[in-house]
Amino acid sequence: MRFACLLLPSLALDVFARARAADDARPFVVSSGGHHPRVVAANDTARDAGIRRDQLISAALALAPDVALRERDVAAEEAALADIATLLLAFTPNVSLAPPCAVLAEVERSARLFGGLPQLLAQLTRAVRDVGYDVDVTLAPTPTAALLLARGGGEPQAAGATHLAQALAPLPLAALDLDADTFATLHAAGIATFGDVHALPRDGVARRFGAHVVDMLDRALGRIPDPRAPYRPPPRFTRKLALPAPADSSEALGFAVQRLVDDLARWLLVRGLGVLRLSLSLTHERYLRERGVEPTRAAFALAAPSREPAHLATLLRERLARVALPAPVESIVIATEETAPLAARNLGLLPGGDAERARVPLLERLRARLGDDAVGTLVAHDDHRPERAGREVAMTTIAHAESPPAASGPPRPVWLLDAPRALRDALEAKPWVLRDGPERIESGWWDGGDCRRDYFVAENPDGEIVWIYRDHRYGTDDGEWFMHGLFA
Amino acid sequence: MHVHPALTPLLSHPAIWRGGDCACEPASVPTGFAELDAALPGGGWPRGALTELALEREGIGELRLTLPALARLQAESRYVVFVAPPYRPYAPALAAAGLDLRRLVVVGGVARDDALWAFEQALRAPECGAAFAWTPAHDERVLRRLQVAAREGGTWGILWRRPGQHASAAGAPLRLRLAPEQGRLAVRVVKRRGAEIARPILLDLARAPGAPLYPLLDARPLPPHAPGASSPRRTRFLHRKAS
Repeated sequence: MRFACLLLPSLALDVFARARAADDARPFVVSSGGHHPRVVAANDTARDAGIRRDQLISAALALAPDVALRERDVAAEEAALADIATLLLAFTPNVSLAPPCAVLAEVERSARLFGGLPQLLAQLTRAVRDVGYDVDVTLAPTPTAALLLARGGGEPQAAGATHLAQALAPLPLAALDLDADTFATLHAAGIATFGDVHALPRDGVARRFGAHVVDMLDRALGRIPDPRAPYRPPPRFTRKLALPAPADSSEALGFAVQRLVDDLARWLLVRGLGVLRLSLSLTHERYLRERGVEPTRAAFALAAPSREPAHLATLLRERLARVALPAPVESIVIATEETAPLAARNLGLLPGGDAERARVPLLERLRARLGDDAVGTLVAHDDHRPERAGREVAMTTIAHAESPPAASGPPRPVWLLDAPRALRDALEAKPWVLRDGPERIESGWWDGGDCRRDYFVAENPDGEIVWIYRDHRYGTDDGEWFMHGLFA
Repeated sequence: MHVHPALTPLLSHPAIWRGGDCACEPASVPTGFAELDAALPGGGWPRGALTELALEREGIGELRLTLPALARLQAESRYVVFVAPPYRPYAPALAAAGLDLRRLVVVGGVARDDALWAFEQALRAPECGAAFAWTPAHDERVLRRLQVAAREGGTWGILWRRPGQHASAAGAPLRLRLAPEQGRLAVRVVKRRGAEIARPILLDLARAPGAPLYPLLDARPLPPHAPGASSPRRTRFLHRKAS
């Protein structure tokens, strides 16, 4: 077996920097917390300005006054590791996390599928770089050896088990998994490399420093088993993406949303799911949070489960375009509220077929831009009162279709007026022709919508066929005339 | 028209076009009215093109004219989209006319630009069979966009011109004008891909197949509409205030 260790040397920086386009070269620094924050990581532009690791932030600001600052986000780094592990599951089923900043993957067994080990490693590296993380890959027969080689900056591809001891020997002491006391003692004794520790008497080392030091050496060299808990993607996807600089318009969020959607799509793919409902939460700057400004939230529902990144990104962008931002946004959180199994499908042999399927369905596009309230459908309701017999409902709420009324009933107009219009003087001017009626509709005394009307189909002097009624609600036979619909 | 038998094979030559012919429409959906089908190029409403219907009055059966075709398109499991209708579409009447309410989408309460956007999206979508819009659109570029969208999506689009709205000069390849005439619907073909038709087509919607929305109580001919003519069903209403 061969294990690849993917070490992310600038993870603290990348979790922020990936939210902006690659050509954005403004100086950017991640700081530690506390009263005297120091530089944890800096991008190339900042390093060119003379900013170094462990510098005080005040010094960094003096060197580059326009530097963008972000406090280190350990939770985001953990989430990023999980994302990368999810991504690696597309290449091999055996992936494990090695916090704080590495992921291990067994690659030999799936190498044949990708045309050999070098091709597989190249694809793996490219895939991780494409999602915005810098990565170094090392290969070794055991996971511990791969991890140590990655940390020690040794030969990227250690040879087989026979030469493993030689490959590990020059690794510095700092690359090993040692606690501070052990490290200090060994360092004071002039022990500088893996090879030096390995050359010491085993029983003496075990007695002096504990069995775990010897075990670590044995695991690295493959003498004892080196089990790792395999990574399993979580059942629900929640991901936060912090922006390097606050964004004050929804267009500026487009790139970050694309990143999140790509992460989401990969998670959906390895879980074999499609998303049905998504929620998006935009967190505002801290000084506003402390004043009680709530994060802006947006929810989205899809008609059918989907995991096409292009589809999801289009919907979210349309949805975001309608969101009014009360204040600049600092981070975006995306979460799946509801998912459904979605079978994998075969790719088409000929190009073109996939483009058709990736198209966003019409109803979702309309709802994304115009809102759920603006796009509705009609439901026939079993009620005699015309204003209650037909209702317009939002597209999302249709759970069941009520039985439609019988086709051969009394005549009903196609257009209904929102509110009946009093006819008053219109009747006096010219003669109207009654074509059908009366039809007495009397109902609703029990629910406050009392109605007692005689409906007629009438033709007005202009030749329009309308639905009019005489209101007998007050018991008289000479109530007012109203127009209620048009036989369009 | 009588044609000499010897001329018939000659006239059927594809290179010969005669003034009375209509252009070949790639696809159409039957209107449900034989007289109208005969007048429209392709024998029905054009799929994949914009139709402009100008109304002289509202409530003359203009929507019932389209319902048989809509039901037919829905039977192909395609959607029907109404954009910015002027009144509330009344569900029981539409269901009784054979429309599947689950395949009817109503977009309303939006600004004019959003309505035009929605109309264009609906026209462009292959899953949408027909899209109706009651939004005034006069800009020639907008109309051209809509026409291209309808062609791409294979969608029958109707741009309704409500009374008082001016019809556009260009735009839709099929333009009709609807007016009431003695209880019937008079359809004037203003523009089609073919020769001009001078006389309006009179349709009796009350007895139209598939749309028994407005059955007359009796099968008697309608009373003459001339002033002063009397009829037992003709009533002069006098408005009296409720005492």
